[in-house]
Amino acid sequence: MVTRWKLQVRGLLWMTRLPIVCVCRVFLIPQVLAKSVRYVYIVRPMSYTVIGKPLRHLEGRAKVTGKAIFTADVALPGMIWGKALRSPLPHAQIVSVDTREAEQMSGVLAVLTAQDLPDVLTGRVVYDTPVLARDRVRFIGEKVAVVAAEDPDIAESALSLIEVEYEELPAVFDPKEAMKAHAPLLHPDYKSYLHAPEKFFSDIPNVHSHVTWEVGNLEEGFAQADRVFDHTFTTHSQHQGFIEPHASVVSVDSDGRAHLWITNKMPVRAQKLLADAVGIPQEQVVVHPVFIGGDFGGKGSLMDSPLCYHLSKRTGRPVKMVMTYTEELMAGNPRHPATISLRTGVTQDGQVVARQAKVVFGSGAYAGFKPVPFVNIPGANQAAGVYGTPHVRIDAYSVYTNCVPGGHVRAPGDLQVNFAVESSMELIAEALGDDLLEFRKRNLLKDGDLLPDGHRLEHVRVDETLEAAIESSNWGKPKTGPHVGRGISASYRHIGTGEANGQISLEPDGTVKVITPVPDTGTGAHTVFQQVVAETWPLPIQKVRVEAKPELFETDSGAGGSRVTYVVGQLFKEMTEELKESVSHVVAEALDCQVGDVVFEDGQYTAKGVERSMTLAQVAKFGLGKTELSIRKTQVNRDKPQVTTFTAQVIEVEVDPDTGQVQILDLVTAHDVGTIINPIGHQGQIDGGVIQGIGFAMIEEVAMEDGQVSTLHLGDYKLPNIKDIPPLKTVLVQEEIGPAPFHSKAIGESSITPVVGAIANAVYDAVGVRIYDLPITAEKIYWALKGQNANVE
Amino acid sequence: MSSNKEIMQTIQLRVNGDEHSIEVPPRRLLIDCLRYDLGLTGTKEGCSVGVCGACTVLMDGQLISSCLALAVFANGRDIVTIEGVARGEQLRKIQNSFMDNGGFQCGICTPGMVISAKALLDENPNPSEDEIKEWMMGNLCRCTGYYQIIKSIQEGTAELADA
Repeated sequence: MVTRWKLQVRGLLWMTRLPIVCVCRVFLIPQVLAKSVRYVYIVRPMSYTVIGKPLRHLEGRAKVTGKAIFTADVALPGMIWGKALRSPLPHAQIVSVDTREAEQMSGVLAVLTAQDLPDVLTGRVVYDTPVLARDRVRFIGEKVAVVAAEDPDIAESALSLIEVEYEELPAVFDPKEAMKAHAPLLHPDYKSYLHAPEKFFSDIPNVHSHVTWEVGNLEEGFAQADRVFDHTFTTHSQHQGFIEPHASVVSVDSDGRAHLWITNKMPVRAQKLLADAVGIPQEQVVVHPVFIGGDFGGKGSLMDSPLCYHLSKRTGRPVKMVMTYTEELMAGNPRHPATISLRTGVTQDGQVVARQAKVVFGSGAYAGFKPVPFVNIPGANQAAGVYGTPHVRIDAYSVYTNCVPGGHVRAPGDLQVNFAVESSMELIAEALGDDLLEFRKRNLLKDGDLLPDGHRLEHVRVDETLEAAIESSNWGKPKTGPHVGRGISASYRHIGTGEANGQISLEPDGTVKVITPVPDTGTGAHTVFQQVVAETWPLPIQKVRVEAKPELFETDSGAGGSRVTYVVGQLFKEMTEELKESVSHVVAEALDCQVGDVVFEDGQYTAKGVERSMTLAQVAKFGLGKTELSIRKTQVNRDKPQVTTFTAQVIEVEVDPDTGQVQILDLVTAHDVGTIINPIGHQGQIDGGVIQGIGFAMIEEVAMEDGQVSTLHLGDYKLPNIKDIPPLKTVLVQEEIGPAPFHSKAIGESSITPVVGAIANAVYDAVGVRIYDLPITAEKIYWALKGQNANVE
Repeated sequence: MSSNKEIMQTIQLRVNGDEHSIEVPPRRLLIDCLRYDLGLTGTKEGCSVGVCGACTVLMDGQLISSCLALAVFANGRDIVTIEGVARGEQLRKIQNSFMDNGGFQCGICTPGMVISAKALLDENPNPSEDEIKEWMMGNLCRCTGYYQIIKSIQEGTAELADA
């Protein structure tokens, strides 16, 4: 029997309009749970010295003074500028490209077309993307030629002098059309592409990856069901919205080495990808660390860097290319639009027993931006939501179309699918005459349940998290107006796995230096490493330095997938313990004592029964040349933790019935968290994710018509601004259980997912309009209230 | 960054207290003049259409989007960029407040945010939350969701911090 010991601390931290409620639930007697899990849950008091402290991010000074160098800031002697000519057509054969006039222009140093480049394709996993279009273009915005000039304005002007003759081909924009028998095929040779995963090939036209996740037996599940529901939802495309557009600088030196500065959160991988893309050995690419101005999943590709390489090689000068925001919106790598069809089997007593999901993602013209081995969108596997469903089958299809290629955006696929799941839960509850909350609670995941991908969960805390969100919200209370509504939504997010690398050393000045290939994209990852090392030793935080040096490593997973604190943090914790052990040996030798007697106290090394003491600097000096006080390590962590992280939200809206305008009155986000390493960064991830989720739900859309993006600048593509943010209440359901160092968990991709479903449900509650198609705009609600479909006029 | 066919114009700029005499083509944008001619890369370019505010600088004490202004337009004017907010190593309290309160993550919008916030605090040392929102509307941030930026401004001042 599990004894539950509750300790609730409420209203711990109240800030103006930003209350954080801490609900600490400490479960004792973990051994009962521990039987079925692979690591031990330890419940211990929060007695850390630097873990849990709101420490300044270590790169803060550089960022608030303008000294932080981002890729576009890199200035090299003799540097010139590249600009790309892009296709105005969605699908066409290139008949000819005439660059002669552009080459003659004063200030132009080189003009390249595909004919000047090796016939090589590139991509993050599957190599399907040409550096410049060779025989045909497949989307509006695809690069056809590139100019290098003394100045970006000259390069831009020269583009207008290039003449391209096209022969238009039939194009297809809707993934469902692209899957039909006689649809134009975008990549007839897909199966021959490098790293195209054979296991996920499909015979359906233009489907480049078909992934199935299955648990239980779907037929059996539907046989148990008393009622079966079918719902279909569609979602739109969202840009990551980072304020820094993609940029690359390449300088090829006299030894043929390519020096690379790039907006890429996986810089080690970028070295390998660039080498493959231009046909040189990986050792010939040296990546230089730079700050990254926002990633959100979107900055993992080479983007223009192969072009910079070729232009630099041709001209002998360093070459910089910076995309304009228009290029970003036209040819970045936005969130995949999706059609999600759910078939749900439910018993008479309101138990969900079967779920079949078909998720079709519009992949765009190339799949090269997708970073996962199965070249599909991983979030599709969440099509059962936070509900323990014994029989599930999910089919995810990623489909080529003549649109901008899709990439990863914070919680890729999760948002699309969660919106469908959370909307359908309400539709079903309503049809059954069930209570919206009770219906959910009856079906929530429990310890030992299987996710659709076959992963078994332990220590499931979705019930507590949902309960915490409900308790802190106005759910069930009287409403303040006739058009006020409330919506619930819940989600989970895995803790990511991957390969971590690092180096740690005791420096002559007595500091501990940590070298990592992973850039800090703004999450505070480097400060987290600093805290983990300082706590493990223990050392004052100032004694630990962190440097990014991706060029020292050959492989690495980089930042992404909510993995960094877990895989890199764990590695640095272990390496700190190892380095400390080596240091103890040096101290034992210096003090002429047993290693076991070495004591580290108040920043000094001494030993039992020894008068003398040594500072870390003295230890470093003594050890110099005798013992290697530097450790370098690689660790591949493929163990997906059985603990996951849950989020539950309640959002209250008011809808203006005359205009359809939605205003968010209150937003409660509850999170299932472990130890919080740095509360500043942790809360920042929650806040930023929620607002990005609101943007996706209501105002952001990479709008397209026949493959032409119509929202081509940030005046048309609306990012939430400071006046768009609603009152936000964060509830932390905390328990010191988590697989990452000091029992911490992931947070970066948690808060964004449930937002859209909660808003959609709240809109329905407010005015009875059920949203099946995103985004949730005033226009759609207005026409629905008028009894008409927004799309039919 | 020049084309030899173009007529060049000489402009006088006072940037962060330093006088500069620069030859620029008339088409040169102020942001390019600051970033490339003067090497002051603290000013960032995001949207290039005056929406995101990453390129915000002060011209004669007024906030402007340097991506929309021509360099010749700034002739004879006084410009303050992010590099001129601190005095040497001595930061402003608002800069410290951004660090203490999580007012930035990736840092790309931060120079514009800090310049705008400092200008607000110069004019109104104790702005309400609504006043902060009204003033800061022209600066977009994708990372923070703005909550910690509001807190940074509420807890900061335009004064120099103790060195």
